[in-house]
Amino acid sequence: MPVRWILHWQPNQGSSVNSHILNEISQCVDNFNGVKDGRWKATLTFYRPNLRDSSMAATEFPRDFIGISLMEVPNKYFFIIRGHKLVLEADSSILTIFEKLQSYKSKVALNFEGLQYKLGDFQVRLIKVVPNTAENLRGILMEIEYLPISSVEKAKPIIEEFVEIWREVLSKKSLHGQFMRAEPNFAEYGLADNYTWQHTAVQYAAALAQLIASVQSRN
Amino acid sequence: MECVVQGIIETQHVEALEILLQGLCGVQRERLRIHELFLKNNPNLGTGSSEVRLLCDLEQTEPSWTVRHVGGAMRGAGADQISVLVRTMVESKVSKNVLRMFYVLGYRLDHELLRVGFSFQFNRGAQITVTVSSVNKMLKLHATDEAVPVTPGIQMVEVTAPASAENYTEVAAAVQSFCEYLAPLLHLSKPGVSTGVVPTAAAAAASLMSDGGGTPL
Repeated sequence: MPVRWILHWQPNQGSSVNSHILNEISQCVDNFNGVKDGRWKATLTFYRPNLRDSSMAATEFPRDFIGISLMEVPNKYFFIIRGHKLVLEADSSILTIFEKLQSYKSKVALNFEGLQYKLGDFQVRLIKVVPNTAENLRGILMEIEYLPISSVEKAKPIIEEFVEIWREVLSKKSLHGQFMRAEPNFAEYGLADNYTWQHTAVQYAAALAQLIASVQSRN
Repeated sequence: MECVVQGIIETQHVEALEILLQGLCGVQRERLRIHELFLKNNPNLGTGSSEVRLLCDLEQTEPSWTVRHVGGAMRGAGADQISVLVRTMVESKVSKNVLRMFYVLGYRLDHELLRVGFSFQFNRGAQITVTVSSVNKMLKLHATDEAVPVTPGIQMVEVTAPASAENYTEVAAAVQSFCEYLAPLLHLSKPGVSTGVVPTAAAAAASLMSDGGGTPL
């Protein structure tokens, strides 16, 4: 499958993410002659251990256990434990198994939803991050997919160039922030150069960690 | 959900069973070599004890992994009346690092087995799978190449079929009627209800071998 990069919007010190920024960015994509190509959605769910004795310290269980569902592959589900550099791809029936095991329960879920645009050989998704129970914007992501190439290394210079152009275009808007990439080390997760859905899941988890870190540093 | 019955057969009669199954199913057998890992939760995790199985199919060039959860058997008057066990069963195909993930989540290896044998899959009123396998234990952790039989000379036969809350009576009937064809060689019953080997097995096997294999006995 084609290589994707997932970038997160990093607001400048003292500023925060808001829907005005999102509108400005989407206007830029429109001006780039991006052709709207449908809607897109992913859901990230945080799981917590279901402890029998809640007074016990949960240190022996992972606190960064995340599940990801992607609209494009509805019959798949992905688990990530970033602290252990672990990504698992499973049939979506794994959710039923976890419900039956009762060992972990979902705590919070975030929806990643957005519009998909086609720009020549690139597919761009502008994504807003919102809690699944509310509408308030928690972050902005941009997913860039270069359709002709499935090698992570080979696609790198091409997507890098595309991202540079984007940054330049957006810099003219004075939006008090910019798109950044938390470049994941795929090899640490046991993933090869040939791009897969597991690479996408790892990048979502990395982008989410950056969003959380930027919110925490503001508070 | 699935409908399931199990039985045992002496290894010396397995070839006859294979001939019978081949004739009944009309499909080729598939070789079976499955490493089964039984995991249990950390006692502080979850509301009770939970068990999950990881199956690694070693017959594939690239071993493939499946998570299987086997739930409780259906109870009540309806369940008692049928001779087939109906239970919940959920499977999910997963990537190869699944064992590591369950370890990180707080699950521990309880025991492991290696099943070696063959299976037939066919449709006969339901999507039926018959597996005939010897169950082996490992003397060293994960050492599937050095596995030894748990019950030498005896193999396990299992007949399963996927079912739903709507159709389990029909599926159970289909499984039951199929099992009747195997009756001279082995008796199949609900898991946990041991019925042993059948006395007619040797004669039935001899007859099958002379008919099907043309081997004079």
